[in-house]
Amino acid sequence: MTRIKRGYIARRRRKKISLFASSFRGAHSRLTRTITQQIIRALVSAHRDRDRKKRDFRRLWITRINAVIRGVGVSYSYSRLIHNLYKKQLLLNRKILAQIAISNRNCLYMISNEIRK
Amino acid sequence: MIFPFPSPSPSLFLPLPLPPSFSDIWNNTWYPKAKDHINTEKTWYVVDATDKILGRLASTIAVHIHGKNLATYTPTIDMGAFVIVFYCMNKFSLLETCSYWYGSGFFLSNLTQYVNAEKVAASGKKRTQKLYRRHSGRPGGMKVETFNQLQQRIPERIIEHAIRGMLPKGRALFNHLKVYKGPDHPHNAQKSIELLIRDKRVQKQR
Repeated sequence: MTRIKRGYIARRRRKKISLFASSFRGAHSRLTRTITQQIIRALVSAHRDRDRKKRDFRRLWITRINAVIRGVGVSYSYSRLIHNLYKKQLLLNRKILAQIAISNRNCLYMISNEIRK
Repeated sequence: MIFPFPSPSPSLFLPLPLPPSFSDIWNNTWYPKAKDHINTEKTWYVVDATDKILGRLASTIAVHIHGKNLATYTPTIDMGAFVIVFYCMNKFSLLETCSYWYGSGFFLSNLTQYVNAEKVAASGKKRTQKLYRRHSGRPGGMKVETFNQLQQRIPERIIEHAIRGMLPKGRALFNHLKVYKGPDHPHNAQKSIELLIRDKRVQKQR
Protein backbone atom coordinates (compact mmCIF):
# COMPACT_ATOMS: atom_id res chain seq x y z
CA MET A 1 0.00 0.00 0.00
CA THR A 2 1.24 3.48 -0.76
CA ARG A 3 1.69 5.84 2.09
CA ILE A 4 -1.12 8.38 2.56
CA LYS A 5 -0.92 11.34 4.86
CA ARG A 6 -4.31 12.48 6.09
CA GLY A 7 -3.37 16.10 5.61
CA TYR A 8 -6.08 18.68 6.13
CA ILE A 9 -9.14 16.48 5.69
CA ALA A 10 -9.95 15.99 9.36
CA ARG A 11 -9.12 19.60 10.17
CA ARG A 12 -11.52 20.91 7.52
CA ARG A 13 -14.34 18.72 8.83
CA ARG A 14 -13.80 19.79 12.42
CA LYS A 15 -13.48 23.45 11.55
CA LYS A 16 -16.78 23.31 9.73
CA ILE A 17 -18.70 21.97 12.68
CA SER A 18 -16.92 24.02 15.32
CA LEU A 19 -18.71 27.13 14.07
CA PHE A 20 -21.83 25.84 15.81
CA ALA A 21 -19.97 25.75 19.12
CA SER A 22 -18.39 29.18 18.78
CA SER A 23 -20.54 30.66 21.56
CA PHE A 24 -19.96 27.89 24.08
CA ARG A 25 -18.13 28.54 27.28
CA GLY A 26 -14.50 27.75 27.98
CA ALA A 27 -13.02 24.55 26.64
CA HIS A 28 -16.33 23.68 25.00
CA SER A 29 -15.56 26.10 22.19
CA ARG A 30 -11.82 25.54 21.97
CA LEU A 31 -10.87 21.88 22.18
CA THR A 32 -11.85 19.71 19.21
CA ARG A 33 -12.83 16.55 21.03
CA THR A 34 -14.85 18.50 23.59
CA ILE A 35 -16.46 20.46 20.78
CA THR A 36 -17.68 17.31 19.07
CA GLN A 37 -19.17 16.00 22.30
CA GLN A 38 -20.79 19.28 23.26
CA ILE A 39 -22.30 19.75 19.85
CA ILE A 40 -23.91 16.34 20.06
CA ARG A 41 -25.35 17.19 23.51
CA ALA A 42 -26.57 20.56 22.29
CA LEU A 43 -28.36 19.09 19.30
CA VAL A 44 -29.92 16.34 21.43
CA SER A 45 -31.22 18.96 23.86
CA ALA A 46 -32.58 21.04 21.01
CA HIS A 47 -34.36 18.03 19.52
CA ARG A 48 -35.91 16.98 22.82
CA ASP A 49 -36.79 20.52 23.85
CA ARG A 50 -38.62 21.36 20.63
CA ASP A 51 -41.33 19.03 21.94
CA ARG A 52 -40.90 20.21 25.52
CA LYS A 53 -41.31 23.81 24.42
CA LYS A 54 -44.88 23.17 23.41
CA ARG A 55 -45.61 21.58 26.80
CA ASP A 56 -43.75 24.22 28.80
CA PHE A 57 -45.52 27.16 27.24
CA ARG A 58 -48.92 25.58 27.72
CA ARG A 59 -48.07 25.07 31.40
CA LEU A 60 -47.04 28.70 31.70
CA TRP A 61 -50.24 29.93 30.09
CA ILE A 62 -52.35 27.77 32.34
CA THR A 63 -50.57 29.00 35.47
CA ARG A 64 -50.97 32.62 34.44
CA ILE A 65 -54.67 32.23 33.62
CA ASN A 66 -55.21 30.39 36.91
CA ALA A 67 -53.51 33.20 38.84
CA VAL A 68 -55.80 35.85 37.40
CA ILE A 69 -58.99 33.80 37.54
CA ARG A 70 -58.56 32.84 41.17
CA GLY A 71 -58.51 36.51 41.98
CA VAL A 72 -62.11 36.79 40.83
CA GLY A 73 -63.76 34.94 43.68
CA VAL A 74 -63.19 32.25 46.24
CA SER A 75 -64.62 29.34 44.31
CA TYR A 76 -63.65 30.26 40.74
CA SER A 77 -60.67 28.59 39.18
CA TYR A 78 -58.98 27.77 35.89
CA SER A 79 -60.71 24.42 35.67
CA ARG A 80 -64.14 25.96 35.95
CA LEU A 81 -63.26 28.61 33.40
CA ILE A 82 -62.20 25.99 30.88
CA HIS A 83 -65.32 23.96 31.56
CA ASN A 84 -67.46 27.01 30.91
CA LEU A 85 -65.49 27.81 27.76
CA TYR A 86 -66.13 24.38 26.37
CA LYS A 87 -69.79 24.47 27.33
CA LYS A 88 -70.26 27.72 25.43
CA GLN A 89 -68.09 26.34 22.61
CA LEU A 90 -65.76 29.30 22.73
CA LEU A 91 -62.59 28.60 20.80
CA LEU A 92 -60.19 30.87 22.67
CA ASN A 93 -57.05 28.94 23.45
CA ARG A 94 -54.87 29.24 26.51
CA LYS A 95 -52.18 31.28 24.80
CA ILE A 96 -54.62 34.00 23.86
CA LEU A 97 -56.30 33.91 27.25
CA ALA A 98 -52.96 34.32 28.99
CA GLN A 99 -51.99 37.26 26.82
CA ILE A 100 -55.38 38.85 27.45
CA ALA A 101 -54.87 38.29 31.18
CA ILE A 102 -51.63 40.26 31.09
CA SER A 103 -52.50 43.03 28.69
CA ASN A 104 -56.15 43.67 29.49
CA ARG A 105 -57.35 41.94 32.62
CA ASN A 106 -60.83 43.49 32.63
CA CYS A 107 -61.45 41.95 29.25
CA LEU A 108 -60.75 38.53 30.72
CA TYR A 109 -63.11 39.20 33.61
CA MET A 110 -65.80 40.21 31.12
CA ILE A 111 -65.30 37.01 29.15
CA SER A 112 -65.42 34.86 32.28
CA ASN A 113 -68.59 36.58 33.52
CA GLU A 114 -70.28 36.14 30.17
CA ILE A 115 -69.59 32.43 29.97
CA ARG A 116 -70.53 31.85 33.57
CA LYS A 117 -74.13 32.72 32.86
CA MET B 1 -58.09 29.66 -7.96
CA ILE B 2 -54.95 29.75 -5.93
CA PHE B 3 -54.42 32.14 -3.07
CA PRO B 4 -50.79 31.73 -2.16
CA PHE B 5 -50.83 34.55 0.38
CA PRO B 6 -49.17 34.05 3.72
CA SER B 7 -51.35 34.77 6.75
CA PRO B 8 -51.60 38.53 7.11
CA SER B 9 -48.87 39.92 9.30
CA PRO B 10 -49.73 42.79 11.63
CA SER B 11 -47.58 45.21 9.65
CA LEU B 12 -50.03 45.13 6.76
CA PHE B 13 -52.73 46.75 8.83
CA LEU B 14 -50.69 49.47 10.46
CA PRO B 15 -49.17 52.53 8.87
CA LEU B 16 -45.43 52.35 8.50
CA PRO B 17 -43.15 53.16 10.28
CA LEU B 18 -44.40 51.12 13.24
CA PRO B 19 -44.48 52.76 16.64
CA PRO B 20 -41.54 51.61 18.77
CA SER B 21 -43.62 49.82 21.40
CA PHE B 22 -45.45 47.62 18.91
CA SER B 23 -44.97 43.90 19.19
CA ASP B 24 -46.94 40.88 18.13
CA ILE B 25 -48.61 40.05 21.42
CA TRP B 26 -50.70 37.26 19.97
CA ASN B 27 -47.75 35.21 18.80
CA ASN B 28 -45.10 36.05 21.37
CA THR B 29 -45.76 35.06 24.97
CA TRP B 30 -45.02 37.89 27.35
CA TYR B 31 -41.72 37.61 29.15
CA PRO B 32 -40.66 40.13 31.79
CA LYS B 33 -37.95 42.65 31.03
CA ALA B 34 -35.52 43.83 33.67
CA LYS B 35 -37.69 46.80 34.55
CA ASP B 36 -40.63 44.51 35.32
CA HIS B 37 -39.01 42.92 38.35
CA ILE B 38 -36.93 45.55 40.10
CA ASN B 39 -36.61 44.68 43.76
CA THR B 40 -37.12 48.22 44.97
CA GLU B 41 -40.50 48.49 43.29
CA LYS B 42 -42.06 45.29 44.50
CA THR B 43 -45.08 45.24 46.77
CA TRP B 44 -44.62 44.66 50.47
CA TYR B 45 -47.35 42.92 52.41
CA VAL B 46 -47.82 42.74 56.14
CA VAL B 47 -49.65 39.96 57.97
CA ASP B 48 -50.59 39.54 61.57
CA ALA B 49 -50.19 35.87 62.39
CA THR B 50 -51.73 35.81 65.83
CA ASP B 51 -54.48 33.28 66.13
CA LYS B 52 -54.30 32.14 62.52
CA ILE B 53 -54.01 28.50 61.59
CA LEU B 54 -50.42 27.79 60.62
CA GLY B 55 -50.75 25.87 57.37
CA ARG B 56 -53.50 27.95 55.82
CA LEU B 57 -51.69 31.16 56.62
CA ALA B 58 -48.40 29.80 55.28
CA SER B 59 -50.05 28.67 52.07
CA THR B 60 -51.36 32.10 51.10
CA ILE B 61 -48.13 33.82 52.12
CA ALA B 62 -46.12 31.39 49.99
CA VAL B 63 -48.37 32.06 47.01
CA HIS B 64 -47.72 35.78 47.28
CA ILE B 65 -43.97 35.41 47.72
CA HIS B 66 -43.73 33.07 44.76
CA GLY B 67 -45.81 35.40 42.60
CA LYS B 68 -48.39 32.82 41.63
CA ASN B 69 -51.25 35.23 42.17
CA LEU B 70 -49.98 37.49 39.38
CA ALA B 71 -50.82 37.38 35.69
CA THR B 72 -47.16 38.13 35.05
CA TYR B 73 -45.97 34.99 36.84
CA THR B 74 -42.79 33.56 35.34
CA PRO B 75 -41.15 30.50 36.87
CA THR B 76 -37.62 31.56 36.02
CA ILE B 77 -37.84 35.07 37.39
CA ASP B 78 -38.63 36.32 40.86
CA MET B 79 -41.81 38.32 40.34
CA GLY B 80 -43.28 37.87 43.79
CA ALA B 81 -43.79 40.28 46.64
CA PHE B 82 -42.16 40.68 50.03
CA VAL B 83 -44.15 39.60 53.06
CA ILE B 84 -43.67 40.68 56.65
CA VAL B 85 -45.19 38.44 59.30
CA PHE B 86 -45.48 39.56 62.86
CA TYR B 87 -47.26 38.17 65.82
CA CYS B 88 -47.50 38.93 69.46
CA MET B 89 -46.21 36.51 72.02
CA ASN B 90 -46.49 39.05 74.78
CA LYS B 91 -49.27 38.01 77.10
CA PHE B 92 -49.73 41.46 78.48
CA SER B 93 -50.41 43.43 75.32
CA LEU B 94 -54.06 42.43 75.34
CA LEU B 95 -54.37 43.15 79.06
CA GLU B 96 -52.97 46.62 78.63
CA THR B 97 -55.37 47.55 75.87
CA CYS B 98 -58.32 46.13 77.82
CA SER B 99 -57.35 48.06 80.93
CA TYR B 100 -57.21 51.16 78.86
CA TRP B 101 -60.69 50.58 77.49
CA TYR B 102 -62.44 49.30 80.60
CA GLY B 103 -60.52 51.05 83.35
CA SER B 104 -57.96 49.69 85.76
CA GLY B 105 -60.46 47.45 87.59
CA PHE B 106 -60.14 44.84 84.84
CA PHE B 107 -58.89 41.57 86.32
CA LEU B 108 -56.61 39.12 84.66
CA SER B 109 -59.08 36.34 85.41
CA ASN B 110 -61.56 37.84 82.98
CA LEU B 111 -58.96 37.47 80.29
CA THR B 112 -57.69 33.97 80.90
CA GLN B 113 -59.51 32.60 77.91
CA TYR B 114 -57.86 35.15 75.61
CA VAL B 115 -54.32 35.23 76.92
CA ASN B 116 -53.04 32.18 75.07
CA ALA B 117 -54.64 33.32 71.83
CA GLU B 118 -51.72 35.49 70.87
CA LYS B 119 -49.74 32.90 68.98
CA VAL B 120 -49.89 31.05 65.72
CA ALA B 121 -52.64 28.47 66.07
CA ALA B 122 -52.72 24.80 65.22
CA SER B 123 -55.82 22.68 65.34
CA GLY B 124 -56.20 19.38 67.11
CA LYS B 125 -53.42 18.12 69.33
CA LYS B 126 -50.64 19.50 67.17
CA ARG B 127 -49.34 21.73 69.93
CA THR B 128 -48.09 18.71 71.79
CA GLN B 129 -47.83 16.17 69.01
CA LYS B 130 -46.36 17.94 65.98
CA LEU B 131 -42.63 17.30 65.90
CA TYR B 132 -39.91 19.45 64.43
CA ARG B 133 -36.82 17.46 63.59
CA ARG B 134 -33.32 18.48 62.65
CA HIS B 135 -30.10 16.52 62.29
CA SER B 136 -26.62 17.72 63.10
CA GLY B 137 -24.97 15.46 60.52
CA ARG B 138 -23.28 13.20 63.06
CA PRO B 139 -24.55 9.73 63.95
CA GLY B 140 -27.18 9.89 66.64
CA GLY B 141 -27.52 13.62 66.10
CA MET B 142 -31.24 13.82 65.50
CA LYS B 143 -32.89 16.50 67.61
CA VAL B 144 -36.63 16.45 68.04
CA GLU B 145 -38.87 19.16 69.44
CA THR B 146 -42.60 19.57 69.78
CA PHE B 147 -44.54 22.54 68.45
CA ASN B 148 -44.92 23.92 71.97
CA GLN B 149 -41.24 23.69 72.82
CA LEU B 150 -40.18 25.35 69.58
CA GLN B 151 -42.72 28.10 70.14
CA GLN B 152 -41.18 28.79 73.54
CA ARG B 153 -37.67 28.80 72.13
CA ILE B 154 -37.77 30.42 68.66
CA PRO B 155 -41.35 31.15 67.58
CA GLU B 156 -40.31 32.67 64.24
CA ARG B 157 -38.93 29.35 63.14
CA ILE B 158 -42.35 27.71 63.11
CA ILE B 159 -43.72 30.07 60.47
CA GLU B 160 -40.47 30.10 58.52
CA HIS B 161 -40.35 26.29 58.48
CA ALA B 162 -43.92 26.07 57.24
CA ILE B 163 -43.40 28.59 54.44
CA ARG B 164 -40.00 27.29 53.40
CA GLY B 165 -41.58 23.93 52.65
CA MET B 166 -44.06 25.63 50.33
CA LEU B 167 -41.59 27.66 48.31
CA PRO B 168 -39.25 26.50 45.56
CA LYS B 169 -35.79 25.45 46.71
CA GLY B 170 -33.12 28.07 47.13
CA ARG B 171 -32.69 31.05 49.40
CA ALA B 172 -33.71 33.79 46.99
CA LEU B 173 -37.47 33.61 47.51
CA PHE B 174 -37.22 32.59 51.13
CA ASN B 175 -35.31 35.77 51.89
CA HIS B 176 -38.36 37.75 50.84
CA LEU B 177 -40.13 36.54 53.96
CA LYS B 178 -39.55 38.50 57.15
CA VAL B 179 -40.94 37.14 60.40
CA TYR B 180 -40.89 39.06 63.64
CA LYS B 181 -42.00 38.24 67.12
CA GLY B 182 -43.96 41.11 68.59
CA PRO B 183 -45.98 43.82 66.88
CA ASP B 184 -43.05 45.90 65.61
CA HIS B 185 -40.93 45.42 62.55
CA PRO B 186 -38.13 47.53 61.10
CA HIS B 187 -39.73 47.85 57.66
CA ASN B 188 -41.98 50.86 58.22
CA ALA B 189 -40.41 52.67 55.29
CA GLN B 190 -41.75 50.11 52.84
CA LYS B 191 -45.38 51.16 53.44
CA SER B 192 -46.67 47.64 53.36
CA ILE B 193 -50.21 46.67 52.51
CA GLU B 194 -52.25 44.41 54.74
CA LEU B 195 -52.46 40.95 53.22
CA LEU B 196 -56.02 39.64 53.32
CA ILE B 197 -56.09 35.92 53.84
CA ARG B 198 -59.07 34.57 51.97
CA ASP B 199 -58.98 30.96 53.04
CA LYS B 200 -62.38 29.96 54.33
CA ARG B 201 -61.09 28.62 57.61
CA VAL B 202 -58.08 30.63 58.64
CA GLN B 203 -59.19 32.01 61.97
CA LYS B 204 -58.92 29.51 64.75
CA GLN B 205 -62.42 28.84 66.03
CA ARG B 206 -62.83 28.91 69.78
